[in-house]
Amino acid sequence: MSRARGWLAASVLGVAVAAVALPGPVALAQGQGAPAQDWKKEFEEVCAKTQDAMALPLKELESLVARCDKLKPTIEKLDESQRKVYARRLKVCRDLYQFVIESRVKE
Amino acid sequence: MTGVDGLRRLALAVLLAAPTASAGVSFVPPQRYGQVELSSRSYAAKVPPVVFDHWRHRARFTCRLCHVDVGFAMSAGQTEISASTNRSGYHCGACHNGKTVVGGTPVFASCSAGRNVDEAPRCRRCHATPDPARLKKDYEAFAAKLPKKGVAGGVDWEEAESKGHIRPLDFLEGVSIHRAPLRMDKEIVIASSGWMTDVLFSHRKHSVWNGCEVCHPEIYPSTKSGTRKTSMIQISAGDSCGVCHTKVAFQIAECQRCHVNPVK
Repeated sequence: MSRARGWLAASVLGVAVAAVALPGPVALAQGQGAPAQDWKKEFEEVCAKTQDAMALPLKELESLVARCDKLKPTIEKLDESQRKVYARRLKVCRDLYQFVIESRVKE
Repeated sequence: MTGVDGLRRLALAVLLAAPTASAGVSFVPPQRYGQVELSSRSYAAKVPPVVFDHWRHRARFTCRLCHVDVGFAMSAGQTEISASTNRSGYHCGACHNGKTVVGGTPVFASCSAGRNVDEAPRCRRCHATPDPARLKKDYEAFAAKLPKKGVAGGVDWEEAESKGHIRPLDFLEGVSIHRAPLRMDKEIVIASSGWMTDVLFSHRKHSVWNGCEVCHPEIYPSTKSGTRKTSMIQISAGDSCGVCHTKVAFQIAECQRCHVNPVK
């Protein structure tokens, strides 16, 4: 009986320790994941308007170019495979917005 | 079209054939047209280069999906493709991952960790010197039911899509971004010099598979009329229209498919 109580006590202690210790790593993992999602979310938002670029107001186009430029350093810090793909995708999208701005100014 | 117009166009076609022929333009057999060798890293890695056939892919995907969303550059060597990017689910690996289902079949996975191509049959599906007889047979089977157009006998992709023979995907889950449909109907007359008929350029036809980003600004950095003058020699060397119309889209020696406006 006393051995069973000992096991019970050990289990309760183990759960208590885990409850205190785990949120740290869990929160850390979430913290590491969140910025990764942030850059992708921002990338998708900023590059989702290429189809409408011709119809967007000049100020919005300039804002989109500025957001691309702000995102670029984050993408350049990604692992090699991601960086190769997303740096190119970001450039293609940014260059289109800039192209529309310049075309508008020339007209 | 009147008889005079017809004769005039025939005469122009003959005349146009001369500069294109002198520029080294000839009709490439359709099974080899659009073939691209991906070799920037393969020789260093001691594996045979990948010989990529555009026709195998363009029936299933828009140009934009691969050249914008997946990130394949329009110029050789610019994509920085590697076995590592493929294994990580990028470039070829965006579809060739053993999981993505296209046409009801999972797409075979690309690039194993090993480099011995002879011991991995999967590698040889891409890393192999094409067998000309098999390539021709594969193409004939692929194109048998598709409409053809032009002297080169290539697939008329536009009609193939309009008649529902092909339905190129423009969205890849987890890769593409949800976007509003593109509406671009502006047609442009591109003035030809001297005796040539003008080119009638349709944005609608080009943007439906390319979006805006494939062409602007990398291939066409300006929209202002008359700012850029391009010769057929430059085009046949792969500049301007020649970026696609010497590799994938119908061949430039089919003059009358672009030079459609009446003679001035």
